[in-house]
Amino acid sequence: MAANPVAIRLEGISARFDHRVKGAVAAVDNVSLDVAPGELLTLLGPSGCGKTTTLRMIAGFQKPSAGRIQIGDQDVTEVMSNDRNIGFVFQNYALFPHLSVYENVAYGLRVRKLDDAAMRGAVGDVLALVGLKGYEGQMPHQLSGGEQQRVALARAIVIRPRVLLFDEPLSNLDAKLRVQMRGEIQRLQREVGITTVYVTHDQEEAMAISDRIAVMNKGVIAQLGSAEDLYQRPASAFVAKFIGRANLLRATVLARDGDRVTLDIAGRRHQAAATGAASSLGKTIQAVVRPEALAIDAAGAGASLPGTVVTRTYLGEKVEYLIAAGDETLQVVQLGPAEARRFPSGTSVGIRLPATGIHLIEEPEA
Amino acid sequence: MLWILLALFVVYPLAAMFGQAFLVDGRPSLAPLLSILALPNHRAAMWNSLVLGALVGVIGTAVGFLFAFTATRCNLPARWVRLLDVATLLPLISPPFTTSIAFVFSFGPRGLITYELLGVKGTNVYGLPSTLAAEVLTYFPIAYLALRPVLAAIGGNIEEMAFSLGSSRWRVFRTVTLPLTVPGLANAFLLLFAASLADFATPLILAGSRFPVLPTEAYLQITGLFDLKGGAVLSFLLLVPAAIVFLAQRYWVGRGHYVTVTGKSGAQSTLDGVSPGARAVLVAACAAVALSILYLYALLLYASVVVAFGANHALTLKHYVVIFTEGRKAIIDTLIIAFIGMPLGGLFGVLVGYLVARGEFRGRQAMEIASMVNYALPGTIVGIAYLIAFNDPPIALTGGALIIVACYVFRYSPTGTRTTIALLKQIDRGIEEASHSLGAGSFTTFRRVTLPLVLPAFFAGLGVVFIRSMTAISATIFLVSIDWVLITVRILENMTELSLGPAAAFSVFVIVLVMAVTSAISALLRRLPGPPGAASVAGLGG
Repeated sequence: MAANPVAIRLEGISARFDHRVKGAVAAVDNVSLDVAPGELLTLLGPSGCGKTTTLRMIAGFQKPSAGRIQIGDQDVTEVMSNDRNIGFVFQNYALFPHLSVYENVAYGLRVRKLDDAAMRGAVGDVLALVGLKGYEGQMPHQLSGGEQQRVALARAIVIRPRVLLFDEPLSNLDAKLRVQMRGEIQRLQREVGITTVYVTHDQEEAMAISDRIAVMNKGVIAQLGSAEDLYQRPASAFVAKFIGRANLLRATVLARDGDRVTLDIAGRRHQAAATGAASSLGKTIQAVVRPEALAIDAAGAGASLPGTVVTRTYLGEKVEYLIAAGDETLQVVQLGPAEARRFPSGTSVGIRLPATGIHLIEEPEA
Repeated sequence: MLWILLALFVVYPLAAMFGQAFLVDGRPSLAPLLSILALPNHRAAMWNSLVLGALVGVIGTAVGFLFAFTATRCNLPARWVRLLDVATLLPLISPPFTTSIAFVFSFGPRGLITYELLGVKGTNVYGLPSTLAAEVLTYFPIAYLALRPVLAAIGGNIEEMAFSLGSSRWRVFRTVTLPLTVPGLANAFLLLFAASLADFATPLILAGSRFPVLPTEAYLQITGLFDLKGGAVLSFLLLVPAAIVFLAQRYWVGRGHYVTVTGKSGAQSTLDGVSPGARAVLVAACAAVALSILYLYALLLYASVVVAFGANHALTLKHYVVIFTEGRKAIIDTLIIAFIGMPLGGLFGVLVGYLVARGEFRGRQAMEIASMVNYALPGTIVGIAYLIAFNDPPIALTGGALIIVACYVFRYSPTGTRTTIALLKQIDRGIEEASHSLGAGSFTTFRRVTLPLVLPAFFAGLGVVFIRSMTAISATIFLVSIDWVLITVRILENMTELSLGPAAAFSVFVIVLVMAVTSAISALLRRLPGPPGAASVAGLGG
């Protein structure tokens, strides 16, 4: 539909306001970001990280207190939202409660003074696209949450916006529907090829649909990259813990040869292929080890870390363990667990560190 | 523009009244206040007003609680709940003194109960007991309406929780239900106290000369003694407790109810909250109150179709002939004023509500409060203030229809304002942003989205202004003239001339008309598209 996808460029935008208690606060602090044409980029972060504020500034609902916003070749910083030609999907859908499904979807076309025949065609097409043909005469309150979501989506894309903006669109749906809708959003976005910025606090959702993810924390972008980048090479403890689950082990780099490192973890030597923290020889760093990369042995086997099982949670396709090792509690996930490898709580075990896939972070322990 | 209107019709009259009360020859002075307080009759009036208000507050809240509790906890059949609703709706939409008139018919010297049934001769219906009873019956529905949602929200899970912890029904009531209702009860008490304090019509008919209260004293001071200054001072005396109550109520309501912390309410409780015995007692008590209200209204209807109530009970329509001939001017005048005031009041209410809820300018709160002042003050004060302010140049309006219309618009549009604010708070800002994002400018958004969504508030505002225009008396009795007469004032004149038949006929006429308009508006509201909750928010409260 959108023949030529456009880029979005944020140049040092900030949103500052005066807080009653805290004084001057920056909800968004000097954020720069380039969204490639046709890309689906997600702003991911905990609540209060500034992701929604950033999105609202792109939409023009809120004016940045500093910085410029560009959509395509146009500087839109001073442009009102109704002249930006955007499609926005709200968390609570924000359907017009007094208008039918047809009129909701046609709203933006009426504003653009489309003639009746063209409008009927366009609305019919987009309702077919979201699978709501035949719902034209329904009122919003007669629809289920998922259907309302589709109407909101149809209403946003029917005007052929230059960019599509989503503000936590799935957070009001139940878990199953959420998974289904995110698939549909991704399919639609690919089909119409519109540059899209998507806001969510759900890392799984972000990883499932995004080309790239910008993890935000405290008003700044903590890391920008693909889902794989973020999971395998988190730039900070915050990102490591926010994207998936992570064990952060204090370690000292004893020797380094390319990506081969020798670490001192809890007084034991461990050799592994590792990424990150390039010039960290002799320093104390944090080693990010994902729970599924750890393995559990019976106590006393080989060079593994000794520990005691605190809890064991059986989840069908996997078993999750919390294991106390020294003064740390490690998360370990056993995928496809075999009955023979059961370690009930209270068992003394050994934790085996992986030989690859360790990522090192150079920062003081948070 | 709105500021000018508010200043002119809200602030200026009050200032003029204060000037009248506390300025002697242009200098501030307490002499008028002291001279008024020196009269024992006035001190008694002040005391009586407070006592009456407190009693009405306590008893009315108790009756309201009884009704609300019965309606929410006794699993009554739908028909019974409807009966309760009708019985409580009637006093709300009637002219304020219909209960009083019916009381005279029932308990007066030739009353149905006192004379016909008990054969008591020369009874005196006038005084504290009957005023109290009439005001309780008139105003307890306010408490019922305020308490019912509170009780309904408490129910269900919280009480089930207490039951599951082993409490008996009575213990649950005592330790859970009642404490949670306390803020609601306090709110209801204050509402009733204010209503009683402001009530003018009931004491005028029922209080009699030995039980003076402030509003009637102020009225007599002005109409009987032509003493504007004295009236102003008496109004001021009335203003002090009224203002205290207003502030106290804002404080209570501002703090919110406990209920809001319970989050999503669970399924409607299927558990019987009361034992069968208690249920029977509650239902019987409610039925007694409801039936006595219906009895009073039936009596009023009966009195309007007999030749002379208490003497000649032959059926006749002559009273209706009288009101449509001699009384025609009053009916036409009232309707003209109501129909002029209705759209103006509705529009004004919605505009102020929109600005307060969505506007971004300094003094929003000041505007909200200014718009509420005339609504919160006793009508007597507003009437006297208008009389003082607009009697002389620079702005001489007394005697005309304009002053009455203005009085209604500024006194009764706040309901529309409140409903608008409530509706707009429900409507997510995202809906307006959605419209912007789809390319609509501010004006288009307002016209196509916001306006249709606040339409229920507009109609609710219309309804309230209309009802009050038909039934109000306390403020406008000071503002009528030979040129512009109101039905309510005519009813009062009829009562004092003891032509009870036409008074009853007028009352019945007003009630029927108001009911017709009310149901027309609710029918309209139901047909308006929109979220299902919108119409109920816009319900004709207040």
